[in-house]
Amino acid sequence: MSQNLEAVLEGFCLQCNQNSRLRDMNRDWDRVVAITSQGEHATPLWIVCRQGELTLHRHAPGDEADLEVEAPEEVLRAVFSGQLSPTEPYNRGELMVRGSSDDLMRLDIITLLLWGD
Amino acid sequence: MLPLRTAVSTSAGLASAAINFLAAVEVAQLTSGHWAWVAILVAGVLIVLAATNFAELNGLYPTAAAIRVWIGRGWNDQLARVASLVYASTVLLVMAADAFVLAQAFGQALPHVPGLLLVALVVAAISAANLRGIRVSGAIQDLNALVLLATLMAFSLAVLWHHPLPPSLPRAAGSGGFWQAVAVGVFIYVGFEWVTPLAEEFRDARSIPKGMLIALGLVAIAYALFTAALEALYPGARGLADSFTPQLVVGRAAMGEIGYWWMMILTLTTAGTTFNGGLSTASRFVYALARERTLPPGWARLNRRLVPARALLGLAALSLALAGVVVASRHYQLLINVGAGVESLMYALTAVLVLSLRRREPNRPRPFRALGGRYGIAAGGVIYLALGVGALLGGPGLLAPAGLLALLLALAWGWVRLGMPRWTQGRAHVQRL
Repeated sequence: MSQNLEAVLEGFCLQCNQNSRLRDMNRDWDRVVAITSQGEHATPLWIVCRQGELTLHRHAPGDEADLEVEAPEEVLRAVFSGQLSPTEPYNRGELMVRGSSDDLMRLDIITLLLWGD
Repeated sequence: MLPLRTAVSTSAGLASAAINFLAAVEVAQLTSGHWAWVAILVAGVLIVLAATNFAELNGLYPTAAAIRVWIGRGWNDQLARVASLVYASTVLLVMAADAFVLAQAFGQALPHVPGLLLVALVVAAISAANLRGIRVSGAIQDLNALVLLATLMAFSLAVLWHHPLPPSLPRAAGSGGFWQAVAVGVFIYVGFEWVTPLAEEFRDARSIPKGMLIALGLVAIAYALFTAALEALYPGARGLADSFTPQLVVGRAAMGEIGYWWMMILTLTTAGTTFNGGLSTASRFVYALARERTLPPGWARLNRRLVPARALLGLAALSLALAGVVVASRHYQLLINVGAGVESLMYALTAVLVLSLRRREPNRPRPFRALGGRYGIAAGGVIYLALGVGALLGGPGLLAPAGLLALLLALAWGWVRLGMPRWTQGRAHVQRL
């Protein structure tokens, strides 16, 4: 049975935090990312980056989200576990984002550095 | 998040190319007197049909991948890849055509320095600014578009104040000339839709539709006024037909050296908006295509400021090389016709996509709906199809624009069918769902 989204995102944060290159790259990237799976009872999960360290939150962390990511849950699980490049569902219109292109590029680069393309 | 102002400036800036002045002259030649500026306004009404198609598609899928997603969902994925490649290449054609016009303007103003060298310096400066990030390029776009539209309107009003159009002027052609002028006038607005890849950067989903419509209104007023001013000084545009830079001739005739340099600066801002907006949006589009390996993955390389530097510099170099070929051959009209043809066919395709997606995904939220109902949208699509075919079959050289587009399509199709699979074989880490 596949992991639920929360466990996948926990794993994603852990991998980012254990990668010294990523921690260094994200040192000046203090952002809040809201991740929402599409569905009737979907509530967002929040990844907060502070001084290069990522933490997962079940409730809104207080600050408004800088970047919003929305997709079906199976797509989010695949993207944040490295099974799927984010570009493919993005170019199919399954993965939708809202925020600045700089932040979107940063998230894309994080997945690229973790898992290659 | 970006303000509405940036949606307006990006859309208006990308529509306001230096080649628009040549189109204004052609409109005036086809139908003189008051009919020239009326033709541009009627063309503006026609372009609103296409704009509302883009607005509906953009509201449905507000993504930087834009047409890549819309065609993929409304038609099929392979056509989406081919169309995206061809569409991105038309930005190169428009930049090259603008570079040619700017080189001609520089050649007149500073005859001892090669015009293309000065154009290369302008492109290098804009590329350097773009390498510093999207905010810098956005600020340049805002400033350039504001200066361009405000000063073009001010110049034209000043000319009309001193040289008013007589209340009644004879028409140079019959009603056929008027509708031909409307068809040419449509091309003054093309490029307005290149703002849609910025959709993710606006909090309010209606910013892009609003921005496009406001931009079209401003472009309509600015170029209708300029065409009226041109008519007031050169009825029927007689004496301007052989000039690559009619705006400089009109500037000098209206206000002497001040008018000449005013229009020279304005020409620089039009080219600036085209280069800056074209490089900024097209480089990110190329990045997205390279990330999915529709293009070689090296084009997805980012610099420290997360700008797709290789795509940006590659596009700048390609457009300059193309401009060099055009300066040498003087076949700029070929690029304009291909660019206009591709844009018109894309507008026709958006009508098909709107109707197709309404059938395929009827329940997906649509913050904005295209004007005209099913039959109105289809009729708009047919009009743009006819305009596209007309642009491709017109111009100098038998079938040259259609031939160049066929070559572009064949290259894109061949790449997607044969070249791209070789790149995608290397994807060891990624599995499909």
